Amino acid sequence: MSIVGELLARHHERLAGFPAPLQQHFESGLRALAPRLSPSQLQQWTETGVELTALSLRSWEAASEYFRAGPDLPKETTWEAIETLGREAVTMAADSAPLAVSFLRAAPAAIAAVGPSHIRQWADLGRRLYKGNWKSSSLAAQFYDLAPQLFQVVRVSQASRLVLFVDELSRHSYELAAACLGVAPEVLKKLDDDDRLPFIAFAVELAQSSWADSRLYFERGAPLIQKVHSPVRERYLLLAAQVARGPNRSAFQYFEEAAVALGELEPDDHNKVIELAEQLAPYSAYAAMDFITSVPRVLQRVRIDELQNWQDAGLRILKQSHDGGEAYFRLQSTRGEDILDTLSARVELNKVGEILRLYCKALTGRNVSIQSTSNLAEKGIGWVDEQRASTEGSTIFLPDVMERYHEKDSNFAAVKVFATHQAAHIEFGSFDFAYDRPGTLFGATARESIRSESSAAVTDMERFFDLFGERQLAADLYELAEDARIDGAIKREYGGIRRPLQRIQRDEVEKRPDVRRMPLRIAFVENLVRASLDAHDTVLWPRDRAEVMAQALGLLQELAGPGTSVEDTAEATVRLYMLAMSIPNVFQDGDDNDWDSVEPMEGGQSMPMDGAGEMGGGGSDPQFGDVGEGEGEEQYQSPEDVDFRGDFKPELVQLLMKLKKDAQGGDAGEMSPQALTPEQLQELLEKSVEIDLDALMEGDLDATTGMFMNNLQKEAGTPTSEKDKNGQPMSDDSTGAGEGEEPLKPIVTIYYYDEWDFRAQDYKPRWCAVKEAKLEEGDEGFYENALKEHAGLVAQTRKQFELMKPELFRKLKRLPEGEDFDLDAAIDWMIERKAGGAPNEKIYWRRNKIERDVAVAFLIDMSASTDEEINKREKKYDDDDYDDDPRKYLSWWVSKRRQELTSPPKRIIDLEKESTVLLMTALETIGDQYGIYGFSGYGRDNVEFFVIKDFDEHLDNNIKKRLDKVVPIRSTRMGPAIRHATHKLILTDAKVKILVLLSDGRPQDHGYGRDRTEKEYAIHDTKQALNEAKREGITPFALTVDRSGHDYLKTMCEDMGYEVVADIEALPSRLPTLYRRLTE
Amino acid sequence: MTEAATKTGPKVHAVEEYTVQEEPYYLPIGDEVELFETAYAQRIPVLLKGPTGAGKTRFVEYMAWRLGRPLTKVSSQSGNEEEYRQPLITVACHEDLTASDLVGRYLLDTDGTKWVDGPLTRAVKVGAICYLDEVVEARKDTTVLIHPLTDYRRLLPIEKLGQVIEATDGFLLVISYNPGYQSALKDLKHSTRQRFIAIEFDYPPKDQEAEIIAHESGCSLAAATDLAKLGEKVRNLKEHGLGEGVSTRLLIYAGRLIANGIPARRACQVGITWALTDDAEVQRSIEEVVTSIFE
Repeated sequence: MSIVGELLARHHERLAGFPAPLQQHFESGLRALAPRLSPSQLQQWTETGVELTALSLRSWEAASEYFRAGPDLPKETTWEAIETLGREAVTMAADSAPLAVSFLRAAPAAIAAVGPSHIRQWADLGRRLYKGNWKSSSLAAQFYDLAPQLFQVVRVSQASRLVLFVDELSRHSYELAAACLGVAPEVLKKLDDDDRLPFIAFAVELAQSSWADSRLYFERGAPLIQKVHSPVRERYLLLAAQVARGPNRSAFQYFEEAAVALGELEPDDHNKVIELAEQLAPYSAYAAMDFITSVPRVLQRVRIDELQNWQDAGLRILKQSHDGGEAYFRLQSTRGEDILDTLSARVELNKVGEILRLYCKALTGRNVSIQSTSNLAEKGIGWVDEQRASTEGSTIFLPDVMERYHEKDSNFAAVKVFATHQAAHIEFGSFDFAYDRPGTLFGATARESIRSESSAAVTDMERFFDLFGERQLAADLYELAEDARIDGAIKREYGGIRRPLQRIQRDEVEKRPDVRRMPLRIAFVENLVRASLDAHDTVLWPRDRAEVMAQALGLLQELAGPGTSVEDTAEATVRLYMLAMSIPNVFQDGDDNDWDSVEPMEGGQSMPMDGAGEMGGGGSDPQFGDVGEGEGEEQYQSPEDVDFRGDFKPELVQLLMKLKKDAQGGDAGEMSPQALTPEQLQELLEKSVEIDLDALMEGDLDATTGMFMNNLQKEAGTPTSEKDKNGQPMSDDSTGAGEGEEPLKPIVTIYYYDEWDFRAQDYKPRWCAVKEAKLEEGDEGFYENALKEHAGLVAQTRKQFELMKPELFRKLKRLPEGEDFDLDAAIDWMIERKAGGAPNEKIYWRRNKIERDVAVAFLIDMSASTDEEINKREKKYDDDDYDDDPRKYLSWWVSKRRQELTSPPKRIIDLEKESTVLLMTALETIGDQYGIYGFSGYGRDNVEFFVIKDFDEHLDNNIKKRLDKVVPIRSTRMGPAIRHATHKLILTDAKVKILVLLSDGRPQDHGYGRDRTEKEYAIHDTKQALNEAKREGITPFALTVDRSGHDYLKTMCEDMGYEVVADIEALPSRLPTLYRRLTE
Repeated sequence: MTEAATKTGPKVHAVEEYTVQEEPYYLPIGDEVELFETAYAQRIPVLLKGPTGAGKTRFVEYMAWRLGRPLTKVSSQSGNEEEYRQPLITVACHEDLTASDLVGRYLLDTDGTKWVDGPLTRAVKVGAICYLDEVVEARKDTTVLIHPLTDYRRLLPIEKLGQVIEATDGFLLVISYNPGYQSALKDLKHSTRQRFIAIEFDYPPKDQEAEIIAHESGCSLAAATDLAKLGEKVRNLKEHGLGEGVSTRLLIYAGRLIANGIPARRACQVGITWALTDDAEVQRSIEEVVTSIFE
């Protein structure tokens, strides 16, 4: 009998008590191992298995797995390894049978993966996870089960770190630990071998400090870490780990944001960025990570080599104050903005837009507005280029950012040149072209010499371009001629900008392509563009054709001279067109030496226009008919655009102006009094070369044209509310308070305000958006009812305030000069003098005029908490009185209830409103200017500011109706509301300005502080806002009905007036009294 | 006058004796000279309306000088013949200016009190042109005086003396008023304003303004033209950050600085930009216009 049979027989009885698979596995295992092991080893193997069965009730399952693993053990598994496996299994099964089962089940594949020599380590790792309870046991089991996949990916050393992580995590949550473990092979597989240890190391840090984040990290971290350039990954993770060690912040978020940020950078720059971040880390790890996160945005404004300067400045702040430095690197501090601004060479439109707007307004005398070019492209009305400046007659569009040069000044000068050129189009009348008006210099001979057939043109510009067969060529010539005229005018009129303009012109010329590589007609136009850029020296032209070029250059030169009008440009265009058409569009034979510079010919305007006939012959000039390319000629192409001149589209602008005029009802005596038909419009658009419909939108032509026309009409139609008598749009009249507007939709105007971060001791720039709108109108009844209800109080208040009516004059005595003698003083003086003393010279009196000149803004808290009913508050006090006598209480309750039914219970806001009504009557009596505003909102982007009565409004029914709509809404972000009210007060020119804040509790809003429970941030910001008001000469006063108001009001209003109205019902009588005291 | 001043110290005139000796430079823009002359001949009071520094005061001076011609020779007490000139009394009104400041008051003397005529009384007595500059600034009680003087009565009541003075023939009341910046509170009352004919002043057209600047400041015509251009441009900003447009006076000051060697950009900065506004953004905008115009 073989050893196998013997062993089978020996243990048969022992194993028979267990389910059948055990026996089967035993037998097959035995048979499989028999060739590999010596009999004694085989016996030992068997005994270990048998021993397993006896350890606990369910340990036979482990034994079963043990036997089953036998045949699957890899070839290279030594006896020692098998022995170890068995021993480990026994120890394990003693603790937990299922654990051993998992261990053994995974063993064959694990051994294959880790190698037979690492079995013990592997077993140890799993055991570390086992804490004696079933959850830990299943976690450990999961670890073993995972072994095949896991060890395909990681080495044992890495796995031990992973176990460390999972173990750490399991102390907080087994589910989390299991989930992380489950995805580990997948996650780790994605990483490079070198990155795994640091990756897990950071995970361990996370698990120790902010374990809740670790799942996020584990699941999403791998692709993130790969965004970091591989040589610095480890350093990056070290930085992130420092954040994880800090308290209370989401380390994963820092990790993620910074990694994404690095992903946006060039990998070569990572080292530098990490290095700079590492310098920050000793002071604040958060600042270091925030720094990395902010780098892409900072780099939009400074060059990479300037980054160090920005970091230096922040580091100095960081050393003084952690919060200040962190805000700096989060780009949430005004100082940070300022420094960035100084460092940055680029010029951003939103920073200089207002300056340029005023500048252009000064130049043109019109209300031009300045917008970004991207806005223009978005409109879909023909302009597609997002980079180049343009104007459509009332708005000047400039690129968002200018960074041509390394110095800020030069960049600004460049923007200014752009703006000046566009403004000059408006100032010097580029869009005022009238077909029938002769030019001041050239007359109208050229236009007259051509027979024009169509007169159906919508605009004068269209009519003009209709003259030409080669419309594109004509448009190009017209554009360059007009630009030459405009630049000439600028240089003549504005001596100061000449130099920057010349610099930009030079730069533009350098970018232009070689003229000698072009077909002749194109070269001709190209030369003209150069000449228009004042670069006559770069004009090159075949010597044998010099005359035509010289003529053209002469024309251009005169056009740039003084006293020319847009009609002269048109005249010049006709002449240039004829010259151009006389040149074949072919490549010049011969070499570059045949090209030479050309001197402009004097007296170009005298170029005989009767020559038109000669050149074309016959009445209908073939030059102006449809001219196809001649034999062997190249197709005409427009010259490259000049950056600063941008997209000049005279035809479109005239059309737009016309549409706008039509939309406004048209002017009397207009060329075509009837509105434009869509057909006309379509025809025009199809003809015009200024619109590249393909570039504009995709899809079939008809649909595109239709949509385009829609856009155009929308553009022309919308600004109608801003019309003025000249038909010129008032683009900067944002409030649009004109008559004849539909009053239904409230106009929302957005204002931005900084917010004070007391930790950073700095403002967060443009942090809050205050949306101002008129409150909608409700029922008028409320106002009257309130008056009726408080009739007695109203009368009383009125009387009080009437008494206050200012005595306009007050007699001031004992003055050195005045209206008349103060008799007493004069007598004293006489006596003194007679007595030989030195009399007091102050013997006059005068009336001193006191004008009551008060403006007051009331700011009403419309937060949700004002919804609270007042009775509820009172009840607990009332209850006490009736404790003893239930009947008494019941009768009280019944009467109360009845009362409640007839008049619904009052809420805090109702009393706020009623008090306001009372005060309004008082204010009307005394004649102070006042404004009433409500505020609420949610979050910093949405601070709602409701106008109930603005300073310049008079108390009328609409305002009474608005008062009705004062209702509880949302949160209380007081700071921005106060700042906006301050802004409103500053606009009044009253001598005494008062800001009354009426609230029911502390300031509170989403994101108004580190978290919802933090009070300090909001209180400090509010305090700062009140301080700002004070600095502007405004007297702030806070009034609250919150009984616990004293604690925070003391901080908030340190040295300002405040009052807590404990008995809220007294508010209506208290408010006017307070106001009186405040202004007396 | 400067010559005289260096020799004899400052010239001191009694208020009513001050006359405009030299022809003031004034460049008529429209028919204002003719209008004023006619009004004066008819003794119709004149209201000069217009922004600050547009030449209202200069105009009054010029008219005073002009109306003093042809020079009537008058024998004075000493027997010498003197040239008659139209006296001009100018009162700059301020918010504390009361009726007594205009009419007069008692002053203390060694022997008690002595009545001293105020400028308006003097003007009424000698038949001068009395020019109340920025009249709305004065207190409302001054209107009590203005009203009887500006209708057919031509009387000045002096309450404290219990007198009424009939205005001498040459007397004319001229007031000025700047509708631009006054608030509604300080608007001229209708009962007052309807006693005057109103001549509107605005800044002169560019070419004329250039001429004025060149003449007054002594700078080159080219610089003056640029300044006038600047003036025109900056005035476009009125009510958009600027309460008032830049006055011709300021442009002249800048011109003087330029004429005396201050670089043009700097001269405009101190003479115009900084003088006009404290708003940094508006300052910057004006500065950009300046640097566009001046090299």
